[in-house]
Amino acid sequence: MDILFRTIAIVIEVLILAAISYAVLHGVRLTASDLGIGPRYGKAVVLALLAVGFIVLIFFIAHLTTFYPAV
Amino acid sequence: MSSGEIFWAGQLIYIREIFLPVIIGVLVFVPLLVAAFVFGFGRHYRLWKLGQPDDRSGHWWQRLVTTLAVAITNIRIIRGKELYPGIMHALIFGGAAILVLGKITRLFSYVTGITNPPQTVYLYASWAAEAGGVLLLIGGILAVIRRYVIRPARLDNMPEDSLLYVWIFLIVLTGFMVKGYRIAASDTTVTDWTLWSPVGYGLSHIFPSFLVEAKNEILVWHRAIIHTVPAFILLGYIWVNRSRLQHILLSPVNIFFRSLRPKGALTPVDFETTELFGVSKIEDYTWKQLMDLDACTRCGRCQDVCPANFSGKALSPKQVILDLKDHLYETYPVPWQKKPVEARKDMIAEVITDEAIWDCTTCRACMEACPVYVEHVDKIIDMRRNLAMEQSRFPEEVQNTLKSLGARGHPFRGTTATRTTWYEGLEVPDLSENENPEILYWVGCTAALEDRNMSIARAMVAILRAAGVNFAVLGEEESCCGDPARRMGDEYLFQTICQSNIEILKAHDVKKILTACPHCFNTLKHEYPQFGGNFEVIHHTQFILDLLRQRRLILGRLEPAKIAYHDSCYLGRYNDIYEEPRLILSVLRGIRAVELKRCRSNSFCCGGGGGHMWMEEDPDKRVSNRRVDEIIQAKVDIVATACPYCLTMFEDGIKAREAEETLRVKDLSELIAEALEKD
Repeated sequence: MDILFRTIAIVIEVLILAAISYAVLHGVRLTASDLGIGPRYGKAVVLALLAVGFIVLIFFIAHLTTFYPAV
Repeated sequence: MSSGEIFWAGQLIYIREIFLPVIIGVLVFVPLLVAAFVFGFGRHYRLWKLGQPDDRSGHWWQRLVTTLAVAITNIRIIRGKELYPGIMHALIFGGAAILVLGKITRLFSYVTGITNPPQTVYLYASWAAEAGGVLLLIGGILAVIRRYVIRPARLDNMPEDSLLYVWIFLIVLTGFMVKGYRIAASDTTVTDWTLWSPVGYGLSHIFPSFLVEAKNEILVWHRAIIHTVPAFILLGYIWVNRSRLQHILLSPVNIFFRSLRPKGALTPVDFETTELFGVSKIEDYTWKQLMDLDACTRCGRCQDVCPANFSGKALSPKQVILDLKDHLYETYPVPWQKKPVEARKDMIAEVITDEAIWDCTTCRACMEACPVYVEHVDKIIDMRRNLAMEQSRFPEEVQNTLKSLGARGHPFRGTTATRTTWYEGLEVPDLSENENPEILYWVGCTAALEDRNMSIARAMVAILRAAGVNFAVLGEEESCCGDPARRMGDEYLFQTICQSNIEILKAHDVKKILTACPHCFNTLKHEYPQFGGNFEVIHHTQFILDLLRQRRLILGRLEPAKIAYHDSCYLGRYNDIYEEPRLILSVLRGIRAVELKRCRSNSFCCGGGGGHMWMEEDPDKRVSNRRVDEIIQAKVDIVATACPYCLTMFEDGIKAREAEETLRVKDLSELIAEALEKD
């Protein structure tokens, strides 16, 4: 039962952190666009941000599963 | 220890370890935040600067007070028919404002020590921030239900919109979670958590199930989340300049610079200095019109009230604004790039179609409904000006009407009537026969030349004579006031007509003008002064009411009838004359006056404005037929009007709906003249 609650808690934390990361990275994309990085590089910017987002998310999951306290 | 001190002791736990990094984080982010904000705002400013000059200076105090009043009270959003979105917006706005104020008070009370806890202000700020968060969440939930469950047709959904809801929800939720973590990790027994932090305290109940040694880990996450908040705010500022949220910033600015000229006055073209005849490129608009495009919140209120859109025509005022905005951003995509004109879309035809441009009846319902004072009609008229004066591209009926106006001084092509036909046998004096009248009765083209409307002019003569008013008409010297030419975009023709009329009126030393036509009234009162024609202009509803108040008219009892008054756009929305017609109806004995469902500032156009009186329309899409349908639903015997355009359009609509047996349309002057006869 404790494992189940812990898993649910971690999933909720990951969802919140994923949403936060998405919001932040989306803002960075808009800023890049405003700074003059035109549609030509748009795809590259999105791919780069996706990669950053993916790494950040992996870190969050690894951290949570390793250090998240027992319930 | 007092409850406040206990509360503060609970807050103090780990506060230096946790709060200090947050303050450092905020201080690091502040320059970035300011830079992002300035850059984002600069992006808008650069685009507005592309526009033509438009003097919106002066009346600073009036502008400031109105802006604050509109922004704080949400008065243009909370309206009778818009209660749900109004309350929703008020909850979001009010909740966010209280939340921010509470948070700032708490932050500064700790940093500065000015309100060193446990002073009361800190406790109230804690409570206020939580209450604000709850209001914001309720408003957000109402918004989500409206956007994704109710789904009004006027709303368009973009991916960013749903992201915004997630973003706002996360900011509030993480705020509550931080508080909950802190309470859960605190060793202090605090009895007043429920009072000062009710939501945080509730959330903290989720956490005590952790083991004691887990508390440090909880604090790690507490720290992680609270550190993310400044980043959130930073991104929020970027979004404030980029997304739908930009209205938080741009709406007040747009309201501040709203037009303070009379509502019915279009901006004149100075033909001696200008090289622009209307607008064909996006930069031909003024800076304020470009700001309008940015300030639009996509709420769709303008679309909902647009008679053309309601009747199934191509025009949607909302879409016009959004299409122009997209075109602006396509043309100037990044600060230092600009597409050459040749590579752009043709603004008139490709971005905004001719059909949409000519569909507008200039009824001003869109502008009245807009919460942020976007000026839709002016933009459409500017495009018409280009079509009419630069490109000579207009529907055939418009062309014929303008030709008739230029050649014969009135828009009724094919009529055999003259300016004096209506008063044959009535011995109405013109200014050559009565050189010093108390008032000049300006008959207007419709009442003088259109068969059905001639009875309005005759009724006015009966009223003036019954009241013993010394009046005269211009007779053959009267010409069109120029309203149809101006609204159809031929500003040059309008100015020619206007200046000629002013010369005639001045030559006769006219001081006071009475007219039964709201279009003539609006043009003579608000647009002639632009060219030196300053006269006292009175609409017949104002004049008749004045005569009634002076007891100069003795009225008999009319045949029993149920009557509804239809508000003319140019009398109501353009000139705020709503009470006078109703007061006239209220003194008529024998009749019962009722209100139509859409009345006063929410009135629905008859379909005759903007030159549509003389334009052919698809019978299935006639605005007049839709309005007549609404009047029929009200089950009235008579629909009263105070505008010859409305009267003509309704006569056509009643015939189209085959309702002649049950519904009649009468001008208020006709009803008064009838009552005079009954005396």
